[in-house]
Amino acid sequence: MRFSGLIAGLFFGFTAANGQVGTIPSADTLYGSADEIVVTATRTEKKLGNVAVPVTLISSKQIAQAGSVRLADILQEQTGLFLTSGFGAGVQMQGLNPDYTLILLNGEPLVGRTAGILDLNRITVGNIKQIEIVKGPSSSLYGSEAMAGVINIITTTPIKNELALSARYGSFNTSDVNATFNISKNKFTYQGFVNNYHTNGFSLRPNSQTSFVTPINRFTQQHQLGYQISDKTKLLGSVRFNRERITNEIAVENNGVIVNSQGKESNDDANFSATLLHKFNSSVRTSAKLYATTFMSEQELATTSGAPYTDYFKQHFLRFETQTDIVVSKNLETSIGAGYLVDRANSTRYDKRESTKENSVGYAFFQSEWKPIERLVIIGGARYDHNALFAAAFSPKLALKYSITNKINVKASVGRGFKAPDFRQLYLNFTNTAAGGYSVFGAIEAQKIISALKGIGQIASIEQDYYSLAALQPEFSTGYHASFDYAPSAKHNFSVGLFYNNINNLIDSRLVAYRPGGAQIFSYLNVKTAFTKGLEFNGEHKFGKYYLISSGYQFLLSGDASELDKIEEGKVFTRDANGYSKRLHASEYVGLPNRSKHQFNLKLQYQKEQVFATVRALYRSSWYVTDTDGNGLYNTNDSKALGFVQFNATIGLPLTKNITMQAGCNNIFNYRDPINMPNFMGRTGFISINFSLKQSIEKSTP
Amino acid sequence: MKKIIYTIFAFLLFAACTKENNTTKVEPVVSKTVKDLPADTIIGITPGVPPLGGMPFGAGKYTFYSLERGVIVPSTDSATNKWDIAFRGTAIITNSGNGGPGAGGGFVFVGLFEDLKTIHSDSTFRTENIPTAYAIPFGSNRGWYVYDGLKNLVTPIPGRVLVIRTATGKFAKVEILNYYKGGVTPAATASDNVKMRDQRYYTFRYSYQPNGSKSF
Repeated sequence: MRFSGLIAGLFFGFTAANGQVGTIPSADTLYGSADEIVVTATRTEKKLGNVAVPVTLISSKQIAQAGSVRLADILQEQTGLFLTSGFGAGVQMQGLNPDYTLILLNGEPLVGRTAGILDLNRITVGNIKQIEIVKGPSSSLYGSEAMAGVINIITTTPIKNELALSARYGSFNTSDVNATFNISKNKFTYQGFVNNYHTNGFSLRPNSQTSFVTPINRFTQQHQLGYQISDKTKLLGSVRFNRERITNEIAVENNGVIVNSQGKESNDDANFSATLLHKFNSSVRTSAKLYATTFMSEQELATTSGAPYTDYFKQHFLRFETQTDIVVSKNLETSIGAGYLVDRANSTRYDKRESTKENSVGYAFFQSEWKPIERLVIIGGARYDHNALFAAAFSPKLALKYSITNKINVKASVGRGFKAPDFRQLYLNFTNTAAGGYSVFGAIEAQKIISALKGIGQIASIEQDYYSLAALQPEFSTGYHASFDYAPSAKHNFSVGLFYNNINNLIDSRLVAYRPGGAQIFSYLNVKTAFTKGLEFNGEHKFGKYYLISSGYQFLLSGDASELDKIEEGKVFTRDANGYSKRLHASEYVGLPNRSKHQFNLKLQYQKEQVFATVRALYRSSWYVTDTDGNGLYNTNDSKALGFVQFNATIGLPLTKNITMQAGCNNIFNYRDPINMPNFMGRTGFISINFSLKQSIEKSTP
Repeated sequence: MKKIIYTIFAFLLFAACTKENNTTKVEPVVSKTVKDLPADTIIGITPGVPPLGGMPFGAGKYTFYSLERGVIVPSTDSATNKWDIAFRGTAIITNSGNGGPGAGGGFVFVGLFEDLKTIHSDSTFRTENIPTAYAIPFGSNRGWYVYDGLKNLVTPIPGRVLVIRTATGKFAKVEILNYYKGGVTPAATASDNVKMRDQRYYTFRYSYQPNGSKSF
């Protein structure tokens, strides 16, 4: 841990990478450790090597060496994760949309999604200790949204006195500044962290006045307090504020008239948590957590003509949760927990800003980990969510890990996950103001509005789907996973995993009515099923004293079983080169849109003490974007975005004992696709300076 | 005796052949493609904002077409049997019911143009009752096309054949191939101006059976 820890410490102002646990040191190796601790997989601290479900751990060192600044930057370099654009950067995991991945900050959910997407650029990586990614349904532990998986961001905690600063400057006048201040004295610990990010934005279309990424300013501050009340009891508190300001000048073309407009957007979120930890004895410990978070978003668009457009969204989320972990015997550990949460939202996207939408959930869960024999670990668990607005959800899970030898592990798991309909799917009230003039209403809202409009003769006709709106249900998924891990020596390790997710009750928008004049009204219904299945490979090979080569690959297939049935029955058509209809073959079906079949990454790394260099290549194959032939599903005749490779490189070296320097270039060969990836930047470069005053403070406070 | 049997057999065979030849010889059913038939092209935009205003509009006139003669029929002949189908925007009507004085009608067949060799005897031809019930159902994903509100594009659904009974009670089959000028749908990223300017130009192919039978 010496070198890697030092790099991480200098860059992030934090020394021990496993500080949150504190008690179990990592092995002192150049390339990281097999003893890394993860908490997300089982909700208890476990060595990464002992966990029965697939977990990916991204260390602060990895984040530093990739030169990442925002959470999206580092996630896009991971095997099996794709960033999506539109309403911010979301992440597609195991082929499932961003809506189905739960994002946690120190185990607590982040809220404030737009169209189901939580913008990962909202989160700075400046004070992250590690990121844990659990793929497959984890709803039995985390409840709604944890259908594709969970991403848990774990921030550093202070165990030593320290002051660290880092500053970075890059293309498009992008700057990122971090400051961390740690104090650890007697029974008291404090960490203050601030981050400021600014970018001027960029435009990919030379003649366009529109910047796709617009001038943005983000400011984050986080304060974490810890107090050891007694040997057995500890109190932790954390507050975090995140502030985002975006300004924009856009030219909107409406019916041939160019309207210049001035936009302002602000996104603020605040998180507050208080945790009481108590150890009754060596085998029983309990925690009680109170967590509150608020997200507020406001957009204003003032145009040269017409009324200004405003969008306002505010969400409050309050949760109380308790969990008790019991070591029953040497071979059996059990956790039980329960909680209650209230979720409230106000928005101009709903009927009116003043009317508060509310949902509350009471839940309970348990999990047991049993080692019947030395080589076998079996984990069973379940969770029950009682939802105020919907039917209850029961999510069980079973996982096992068997060590064939010390070098070979086999894991298998099956679980059920769910996602409750969100406020948007219930209450959205949106009418498009450009040509076309369609409306989208949430399921509850649509029933109310359409029956009111019908009463005054403003509905021309009602579609059959309208009558299904009353029965909206949560989406359910069953996930299966099996993997094989092989680590022949400390220098090599490989893992191959297979996954299969079967999703029922998928909610999608459907046409439910027409207004007079033909304008369409859409709403949300449980209309689809979907599956995603594939293979994931990860491997690492160390050679020489200083080199590491690592690679990852994901093969992904997706689709909708009912669509495949229709193709088999010969009821789906497309067009030939003459524009004449022809029957679609099953082989021409490509499954769900926006999914690449192949993803490959390769990383070459050199590291000698504090000097390092990495080159990363990221490839994704083509993906389908538009149903151009009008048959309602995606096939080889539809339009697609082309596959591409992106090359990134970073180097770092020490300048003095306390100062290190880093420089990097992303997208070296300047690949761009303005149509399909409007916010994918061309080539960018950066340089950063990292400064740590750890030792001098440490001396002054022995 | 054998000779007689052979002769009779040959005669019967000849008769059978000539009978068959008579039906197919009259006029072979060929398919014809019509390009860029204007259908009430856009001349302006309604005042106001969507969903009630801001809609493109044309002159509000149908373009009448005779499948029998393969020509556009002047609108002065709209109240006659000279036309078989008419186009206005995405609405396609037959010369029947309250749409015209003819004996027309129609329905949408799901399948391939070539596969429709014979109109099934129990098929029901719908007649016009505009605006509540069109023979060819009106609206996105109901009849021959799907409209994508987000991209503002109309796409003919592949595998949809409009089975038409003409004004004089003959039969024809029609496949709409495209809704935009030049038979090319604008790119999804094209401006609304282009999408509006180029829309309402039909490209379609059809087969007309002049002998009154339901076979093509």
